[in-house]
Amino acid sequence: MIFSKKKNPVDLTFSFITGIASVSVILITAGILYVLFKESSLSIERFGFFKFLTLVDWDPVKESFGAAAALYGTLITTVLALIIAIPVAVGIAIYVTEVAPNFLKGPVGIAIELLAAIPSIIYGMWGLFTLSPIMAKYIEPFLQRTVGKLPLVGILFEGTPLGIDFLTASMILGIMIIPFTASISRDAFNLTPAVVKESAYAVGATKWEVVKDIVLPYSKLGVFGGVAISLGRALGETMAVAFVLGNNNQITTSLFGAAATVTVKLANEFTEADKDIYLSSLYYLALLLFVMSFIVLAIAKFLLLKAERRYSR
Amino acid sequence: MRRERLRVIQSHAAFVVSTLTALFGIFWLVFIIGDILIHGIGALNIDLFIKDPAPAGVEGGGLRNAFVGHLMITLFATLIGVPVGVLGGTFLAEYARGKKIARFISILSDIMVSVPAIVVGTFVYAIIVKPLGHFSGWAGAVALAIIMIPVVLRTTEDMLSLVSWTVREAAFALGAPYYKVILQVVYRGAATGILTGILLSIARVTGEAAPLLFTSFNNSFFSTNMNEPIASLTVSIFQYAMGPYDSWHAQAWAAALMITVFILIITVLGRLIIKWRYKK
Amino acid sequence: MTGQIELEAKNLNFYYSGNIHALKQVSFFAYKHNVTALIGPSGCGKTTLLRCFNRMHDLYPKNRYEGEIVFQGKNILSKDVDVINLRSRIGMVFQKPTPFPMTIFDNVAYGLKLKGINKRTELSERVEKALKNSAIWDEVKDKLNVSAYELSGGQQQRLVIARALAVEPEVLLFDEPTSALDPISTSKIEELLVQLKSKITIIIVTHNMQQAARISDFTGFVMLGELIEFDKTDKMFTAPSEKLTEEYITGRFG
Repeated sequence: MIFSKKKNPVDLTFSFITGIASVSVILITAGILYVLFKESSLSIERFGFFKFLTLVDWDPVKESFGAAAALYGTLITTVLALIIAIPVAVGIAIYVTEVAPNFLKGPVGIAIELLAAIPSIIYGMWGLFTLSPIMAKYIEPFLQRTVGKLPLVGILFEGTPLGIDFLTASMILGIMIIPFTASISRDAFNLTPAVVKESAYAVGATKWEVVKDIVLPYSKLGVFGGVAISLGRALGETMAVAFVLGNNNQITTSLFGAAATVTVKLANEFTEADKDIYLSSLYYLALLLFVMSFIVLAIAKFLLLKAERRYSR
Repeated sequence: MRRERLRVIQSHAAFVVSTLTALFGIFWLVFIIGDILIHGIGALNIDLFIKDPAPAGVEGGGLRNAFVGHLMITLFATLIGVPVGVLGGTFLAEYARGKKIARFISILSDIMVSVPAIVVGTFVYAIIVKPLGHFSGWAGAVALAIIMIPVVLRTTEDMLSLVSWTVREAAFALGAPYYKVILQVVYRGAATGILTGILLSIARVTGEAAPLLFTSFNNSFFSTNMNEPIASLTVSIFQYAMGPYDSWHAQAWAAALMITVFILIITVLGRLIIKWRYKK
Repeated sequence: MTGQIELEAKNLNFYYSGNIHALKQVSFFAYKHNVTALIGPSGCGKTTLLRCFNRMHDLYPKNRYEGEIVFQGKNILSKDVDVINLRSRIGMVFQKPTPFPMTIFDNVAYGLKLKGINKRTELSERVEKALKNSAIWDEVKDKLNVSAYELSGGQQQRLVIARALAVEPEVLLFDEPTSALDPISTSKIEELLVQLKSKITIIIVTHNMQQAARISDFTGFVMLGELIEFDKTDKMFTAPSEKLTEEYITGRFG
């Protein structure tokens, strides 16, 4: 404090209390890391790191546990979801910032924010009751009849389309992260100074050329940051995929195969784990998930900070 | 000249594509909300609010226990999470303003806001449920509070930073100690913003199911005892939607509708307050 | 020193969205290969007038022009004018340097590429020429592939001028191009403008009356959306015919 040399005792107490409150975030973070580590130590000792990562088995009877299938499921659903969400989200952001007539900009923007506020369990339940039957009855058989017949990509569309599979889960996850990704991309686009855009117009650029050559490169970092946050969130999303992935511990190349993610496994099996090594292995999964998403989110934050710093000059 | 025509056509084409992607995104989202509304309203009835669940497979019954349980868990989560968040944010924006530690905690909070909620559930299971030997409403409230703290903390920090430094200087110039300046001047200036942040964070945790699965668990009976497992709407939705009975599915739709409507109202309210307060 | 009229506004009125009447019955012209300055108190409409000449206002909805701006015998406010093409013939440089997020070379080549010039040799030639014409070639010739953000503010501004020159416009509009620069960079750019007028017509908005007096041939004084006086710069700063002009120039307000 530069304003008073002698500290007022009440001030000292107040600053102490607030300090403790803010340090709680560090304590929680460290606490989560420590507890997950401790709880999974049994499994870590038994299976080690690389074996756990590569072992496909998840067999409570034989007490043989590996993360490969769950990590594979997490990875595939997340990647597919991003493939679905990113183009749409960027398209929406371009629409809101550059295309929409002024009277629509506000409402569409608010709609996006509202949709981002809808909880994931709603998306998940809707997926189970509405999307999954549609996928099973129409979309998946159609895909099987058409692209499924092609060589090479055919293996992606094998099996009976039941609607409880990678494709449905990824679509729901994708739809869920669209509003969030769009909203961050829009904020990034809006960081482009109007006068830089104007000077591109002043050398005779069309509107699209301004978006493509000026706005997108200018906001690249911000958009990457936004995508990275979406990635982090998608990795750890539980309820949007729990309903429609089937919790089947297998590695399948077919998009029509049931699978499991780390989160789905935790949601379905945590309270059923009757042996210490079983629970410990679930904790091991949770630890891996926590570390993964923490790293991804940290990278995202770093990108966003860099973007902010560059343009606040 | 022909090349310019081409460029203009290309520009229009690109924006048609962008409009289509926007429509594609909005199509799904309207589909979802419409579906929730139609099925949810169809399944609404008074029993839902005043009766407890009927035995499995028996028609009728309601989700009174889950409504009350959800309310209690959220209430206690707010009572724990909000003071910690607001005080923590105060430290970052006031006593530690501009210091490295403030920046570190601020960034860490931003990361923790998006950390998987289910992991928080497993954490609370280990520190509360396991030692006590049973699921409890308290565990659920703590799990939600942990999710709330970084959200409230960051909003508070941002809102306090918006209060201009000269306002503080003016108060200092009158000889006020810092805590009085914070409590009487700064908080007053940022009150609306902080309150809105709290509202939005409540909306956020109201929809959480994952952290409650292994903490407050579920309870098919009416209970207000926070030391016991306690029902919540979100966990009930998960259980009922995955269950085999049509009557369960209907109740899941109705519960989903109630949660969605509640969250949307709070979010709209929050946005309106922000607009009214900060965009004049 | 006088000669052919390059650009002429006739009874120009301009309304911002919400029907704010920003320019009132402005009649104004700029001689070819002259520097014409627009001065006036801030918020008077001088920048608004400047932005009419390359239809910059079209970028924002509900802005409305009335009257005519004649450029080479054609009313550029009429609906059938190709604005994209117009802007490559009437370029603009802004208050703050606006480098694009690309290399120095690509910044200058940008407008050329838009016009369909893709041959590397031709691009190189014209980029070099533009950079020489804007007196920055010596400073950047060894780092053409470096990001434009690496340059200093004054260098960035000259780069932006080079970018505008590269597409060989007939007119260049300058909106207070030196107000964000230090005195040394400012004098470099002023020198540059005087050199450039042998090739192009320049209209410059400035809040700095000394600058107008130093570099311009003609000066227009704008106040509250009206063109109060328009004359040769020498005459304007020594014997203005309007009382308002005199008061402004002598610093009694503004």
